[in-house]
Amino acid sequence: MDLVAELESVLGSERVRAHPLDRRVFAKDAGVKTGPVAAIVFPETAEETASCVRIAAEAGIPVVPRGAGTGLAGGAVPVEPALLVVMTRMNRIFEVDEQGRTAWVGPGVINLELSKQLASTGLHFAPDPSSQQSCTIGGNVGTNAGGPHCLAEGTTVAHILAVELVTVDGEIVVVGAEYPDPIGLDLRAVIVGSEGTLGIVTRVLVKLTENPPAVGTLLLGFPTVDAAAATVSEIIASGLVPAALEMMDRPMVRAVENFVHAGYPTDAAAVLLAEVAGHPEGVRAEAEMIERIARSHGATSVRTAADDAERALLWKGRKSAFGAIAQSAPDYYLHDTVVPRTRLVEVLDAIYEIAARHGISLLNVFHAGDGNLHPLVSFDASRPGELDRVLAAADEMVRVSVEAGGTLSGEHGIGLEKRDLMGLVFSADDLDAQARLREAFDPTGRMNPGKVLPEGSRCFDRAAVSGGTGR
Amino acid sequence: MSWVTDFAPERDDLDSCVTCGLCLPFCPTFRLTGDETASPRGRLAAILAVARGEQPVDERFDEMMSFCLQCRACEPPCPSMVPYGKIQERVRAELLVQRPSLRRFLRRLVLGRGLASPTMLRTAGIGVAVAQRLGLTRLVGGPTGRSLRALRRVSLPLRPTRGRSWEPRGTPVGTVALFSGCVMDVWFTPVHEALVDVLRVAGYRVVAPASQVCCGALAAHDGAAFDAVRMAAHNVRAFAEVDLVVVDAAGCGAHLRDYGHWVDGGAELAAKTVDATVLVARLLDDGALPELEGDRGEVAVQDPCHLRHAQRIVEEPRRVLRAAGYVPVEIDDLGLCCGAAGIYGLSYPDTSAELGRRKAAQVRDSGASVVASANPGCELQLRGHLDVGIEVRHPIELYRDALLDELTA
Ligand SMILES: Cc1cc2nc3c(=O)[nH]c(=O)nc-3n(C[C@H](O)[C@H](O)[C@H](O)COP(=O)(O)OP(=O)(O)OC[C@H]3O[C@@H](n4cnc5c(N)ncnc54)[C@H](O)[C@@H]3O)c2cc1C
Ligand code: SF4
Ligand code: SF4
Repeated sequence: MDLVAELESVLGSERVRAHPLDRRVFAKDAGVKTGPVAAIVFPETAEETASCVRIAAEAGIPVVPRGAGTGLAGGAVPVEPALLVVMTRMNRIFEVDEQGRTAWVGPGVINLELSKQLASTGLHFAPDPSSQQSCTIGGNVGTNAGGPHCLAEGTTVAHILAVELVTVDGEIVVVGAEYPDPIGLDLRAVIVGSEGTLGIVTRVLVKLTENPPAVGTLLLGFPTVDAAAATVSEIIASGLVPAALEMMDRPMVRAVENFVHAGYPTDAAAVLLAEVAGHPEGVRAEAEMIERIARSHGATSVRTAADDAERALLWKGRKSAFGAIAQSAPDYYLHDTVVPRTRLVEVLDAIYEIAARHGISLLNVFHAGDGNLHPLVSFDASRPGELDRVLAAADEMVRVSVEAGGTLSGEHGIGLEKRDLMGLVFSADDLDAQARLREAFDPTGRMNPGKVLPEGSRCFDRAAVSGGTGR
Repeated sequence: MSWVTDFAPERDDLDSCVTCGLCLPFCPTFRLTGDETASPRGRLAAILAVARGEQPVDERFDEMMSFCLQCRACEPPCPSMVPYGKIQERVRAELLVQRPSLRRFLRRLVLGRGLASPTMLRTAGIGVAVAQRLGLTRLVGGPTGRSLRALRRVSLPLRPTRGRSWEPRGTPVGTVALFSGCVMDVWFTPVHEALVDVLRVAGYRVVAPASQVCCGALAAHDGAAFDAVRMAAHNVRAFAEVDLVVVDAAGCGAHLRDYGHWVDGGAELAAKTVDATVLVARLLDDGALPELEGDRGEVAVQDPCHLRHAQRIVEEPRRVLRAAGYVPVEIDDLGLCCGAAGIYGLSYPDTSAELGRRKAAQVRDSGASVVASANPGCELQLRGHLDVGIEVRHPIELYRDALLDELTA
């Protein structure tokens, strides 16, 4: 039997696709690269997922898990013809333990949908990537997604207690447990952020967070990027841990304002969006403190959200940033690097300089609180040579971030995109160790191959080993 | 082979999609299937592949496109402002030519020709009125039967508004033209009459130009582009003399407001076209119509896609309902399509019915005994899926009833 017939015998014909047009549509995520898809399946249970993985193994093709396909690093884009396992139909919330503040959910549950469904319990899922209306919990686990509110709450890895995983040989295992510190090696942190290279997540036990009793949101305008950056440093140095602390530069503010009309100050050189949460008394005091620090650095405007509607509007501005620039050019390239907060201004200057030198237009938006930069380049890939220039500039921007003591990716993952830059932050030994860990899960190298780790990470050739030992 | 007609999707429109995926959760067909090929982004990718000549216009492409409800729920969340509705209409025009079939041909006859003909509409109207009186509508099965039985009782003789005019009550303030529509003017005359009553109280002279025809929305959505152009041109002439046109069907209003894509002079007609709830809300704000006292209880608000998504009209129907003494109750924060979607139920009865059942459940869960809907297609779908005991009314009708109560009190 051929691959498709075999898959159809398990899933039925409606949940198996191999028409060239389907393969074409699934060849891409929200990033810039496309890849070859052999067939697409929509399993609804862990058992079905396991069967698909086994069938792919018999056919000798790799497996690539996919959530909503909002990833920006090409994590769900195959590098060689693969079976694409789409998890969107596994979108049930199985059980919610309100007392214990946990829930078992399917990997296809949409991030924002989970918090919406929990509204009556006063709980929510804390990681809030800007794509939260669309991306899945499985994808969040895959990329260890972060968001503005991860400054105080930590990224996805801090909110995952256990995962059920289908391994490359079709086994279903549970990693982690309902209590915070399972015995033995804690492999959860290995799975979270592994971008589908260790297995397919089929169920997740998430930690839920209590909605804060009070929230204060401030929008601060500054005459210079330096003043905004200095404000960030002083807020953090003062011991305050804001729930979120976001920065946008003038081009970004203008693009966003044009799109959502949230009343952002378009004359400011930089804007900070700060949020504090907790008990009403504390919130008021902390908001005042932030305002005082901002003014001492010359803030030209301070706006405090009067109610939830205004808060939602201010956040809408921030969360629309990626899309808003799409108005100016058909394609965008979104960077995701991290620099030490103390060197923010210097790295920003270098990044502006790189953009100018390559003649590309650049807008900046970032999680200032933790130094996670998202320089955004808008361009038109249909113009010859433009993508190459953008990618060359991207390379340089990552390099200056790393040279300043930062790293490759804050939250979007490595995927296909930054794979070949891993050598900038990891030595050959480090990469070898990671490759070995991956091999422990996937000795055949068929689970989302070609992602995260650059070719040749393993110090001796894997093909030789797998061929030689018959595995 | 890519495209073959003059109505082909424009490349700039296609290129404006940055594939961010922010539209996905708003798309009803994606919600039901979790399938990228049933999502706005996926459909745009397929269209782009055809535009580039990399994929043929084959059966699978046809299927991916036809499964789209054309509800345009993907437009408001799109940061890149992709004109999805316009693109999809143009794709349908290509499909009509490149994927001919008997069903398409028949649909084109009805939507492109039949709806534009007052005689055909009158004949059909009388046919339905007679069938209703003889109880024949019970004999029709499937979704068509359900819609037929959900129709309001058609008056005999028919009372079309086309060609009539009404003088204001009280001090005259101006003239407004009523867009009568095709089936609206046969089967939904009570809504037109309610709107006319309200506008007369506000001091308007109301005219319904005799030469107007169907707006062409259903033809356009089904790819009958030439017919749609013809109807649009006809209406541009019919309304040339007036400077305000009011529409009480969301689907027609959305299409009229897109006339700029279709004919010369279309943009001018679009600019003077206003939805009935928007006009009445404006008159309320200006004090030309009264805020009515009284507590009439709760009303569930169903947002027609072509009001909420295509025209971004959300607040005004609620404003009108509050002025009528009702407490509007929200039923769906995403405003997901009810599944009516023009004639979608004929092609995809199961999907249409599933969305209809979901919408009906939301209405039922609200506990309200009335649901307000500002579009005839949605009204049929709601009534078809709701149990007796829950009334489906146009917001303007509810306001008019309350207004008449007050005026006669
Ligand atoms: C406009 C926009 C804004 C964004 N903002 C942010 C942000 O603020 N913070 C942030 O962190 N990211 C952000 N992202 C990136 C992206 O949304 C996240 O990486 C998200 O976690 C991806 O989820 P997804 O469901 O779309 O996964 P996909 O893109 O489908 O997959 C992502 C990776 O996870 C793997 N994967 C998916 N499901 C599973 C599973 N069940 N088991 C195992 N592996 C799996 C895939 O193989 C792939 O490697 C943004 C993207 C866009 C388009
Ligand atoms: S018009 Fe409606 S059904 Fe079609 S892609 Fe957009 S949201 Fe989905
Ligand atoms: S939201 Fe707009 S730009 Fe983003 S994928 Fe959807 S259609 Fe494309």
